Amino acid sequence: MVHRFPIVQFAVDAHDVRKRFGTVVALAGLTVRVAPGEIYGLLGPNGSGKTTFIRALAGLVRPDAGTVRVYDRDPLDAVAAGRTGYMTQAPALYGELTAEENLRFFAALHGVAAAERRVEEVLATVDLLDRRRSIVATLSGGMRTRLSLAAALLHEPALLLLDEPTVGVDPVLRREFWEHFRALASRGAAIVVSSHVMDEAARCDRLGLIRGGVLLAEGTEADLRARAGAPDIESAFLALAAARQ
Amino acid sequence: MSARRTAAVAKRIVEQFRHDRRTLGLIVVAPLLVLTLVWALWGSPSDTVLDVAVGNEAFARIAAPRLEGAGHRVGGVATYEEVVARVRDGRAHAGVWGGSLPIRIVVEGSDPIRTSGAISALERALLQDTSRPSAVGGVVVEHVYGRPDLSLLDFLAPVLIAFFGFFFMFLLATVSFLRERQSGTLERLLASPLRRGELVLGYLLGFGVFALIQSAVILGYTIFVIQVRYRGSLATIFLVEAVLVLGAVALGLAISSFARNELQAVQFIPIVILPQAFLSGLLVPVEDMHEVLRAIASVLPLTYANEALRAVMIKGYALTDPLVLRDVGVMALFAAAAIAAAVLSIRREVA
Repeated sequence: MVHRFPIVQFAVDAHDVRKRFGTVVALAGLTVRVAPGEIYGLLGPNGSGKTTFIRALAGLVRPDAGTVRVYDRDPLDAVAAGRTGYMTQAPALYGELTAEENLRFFAALHGVAAAERRVEEVLATVDLLDRRRSIVATLSGGMRTRLSLAAALLHEPALLLLDEPTVGVDPVLRREFWEHFRALASRGAAIVVSSHVMDEAARCDRLGLIRGGVLLAEGTEADLRARAGAPDIESAFLALAAARQ
Repeated sequence: MSARRTAAVAKRIVEQFRHDRRTLGLIVVAPLLVLTLVWALWGSPSDTVLDVAVGNEAFARIAAPRLEGAGHRVGGVATYEEVVARVRDGRAHAGVWGGSLPIRIVVEGSDPIRTSGAISALERALLQDTSRPSAVGGVVVEHVYGRPDLSLLDFLAPVLIAFFGFFFMFLLATVSFLRERQSGTLERLLASPLRRGELVLGYLLGFGVFALIQSAVILGYTIFVIQVRYRGSLATIFLVEAVLVLGAVALGLAISSFARNELQAVQFIPIVILPQAFLSGLLVPVEDMHEVLRAIASVLPLTYANEALRAVMIKGYALTDPLVLRDVGVMALFAAAAIAAAVLSIRREVA
């Protein structure tokens, strides 16, 4: 599977990215690099710039300054080439359509080969095969989140962008999600996942602690804990944030 | 441009409509309901029955049979003052005084529409027998287009067909695309290989299917059920309608970018629809308007649709007539401009 993805040094290469919306500074010089096969966790409080950064990687935000490259291309080109899969924070689906109609639509947009089989596969992955003919508006919040993930997985993207993917997902399924993310990464896909749930941090290969649109610290979970001399990642985040001020 | 992705969008819209039976039903039922109402109100040529005070006695002997023959009720009076008094008191809708020349028609006059209706009803009644010159005058009325029994409905039907098509498709497209923006699915689409042009074209195709079904049903109902008289070819009428509604869908997509929620979207109806209702010739002929209003009317697509549909349905013009061709051309230009605006409006989302 690895040969499917282009051989480049970085799946994501963002350098000194700045973006402001009116008077609000969303990104204040963020530099992040993610290698193929790596799961990178963006950790930070609400409003820290996580979503803006992920949207910049999806080509939906043009930075005011700095550069963003995805597999050595402009993010929009990467999107057009089907390299990117983006799961938005709120499940973005068509409520009037059934689960499988939603997936068939997104599969058609991406030109997924053998779409029927693939739709079944991803429905199985998110454990929704038995609800495939249910109208999305009648599904529970957790089921919609799962379907939203399924839609992002359909075309086997080389860069998977997940904006708070496990909100409202029960612990059992959350573990399955992460097993699935790990499997994708082992096949060479890069994954950028944002969260404000610190206990998900341990599952990432590397973490970026982000606040006020800049990186406070970066490293493995163990690294960061050791650096802050803290027992858990939450305390580490607080200690590193305090040290910065 | 990928036909596959465009078709995927169109298919999705059709599926959404299929699951939303109520909207599907309303698209058809709502315009038919209003058309039926218009038919009930204005379906027959002037059946106004008036109580008419007629004086003096000599004149009444000539005039009364004519007025009664037209269904009006006649009350004879002796003096001009009595005619005026009856109308003032509300005992008569109108009066006719023939005691001296010229003959005077007296109307109550506070309601301009009823006033002109009463005057023309009296004129018609008094002039009814045009084969035989009479004391009232030997006037013969000839119709270049239409005919004497052309009802207000026959006159309004062409513009109502255009108006309903435009109104409903504009509204549906605006709200649908607003939902796409609000629910985050637009964001998801923009983060997929789908291009903006493909998205807009897909919407046009998907909505086009329902717009044409709606047009066919409205047209069929107008012609075969409430039996509006028309000349010209049905295919030409349908083509004019199709070009108009495609423009309405594209305009709806573009306008939706100015609305943040459905409540705001609904408030765009008065801004986009009402000026067209007033200025496109639906109520007042465009050529009778002040030049400023005429200038506004000249950029409204409904103005051209109305002109073309009236020319085809009432006067029997063909599609190849320069006037009809020009109107369809202007509507096509408008649709193209609206499509371009819709594509550009999607760009605005990408900050």
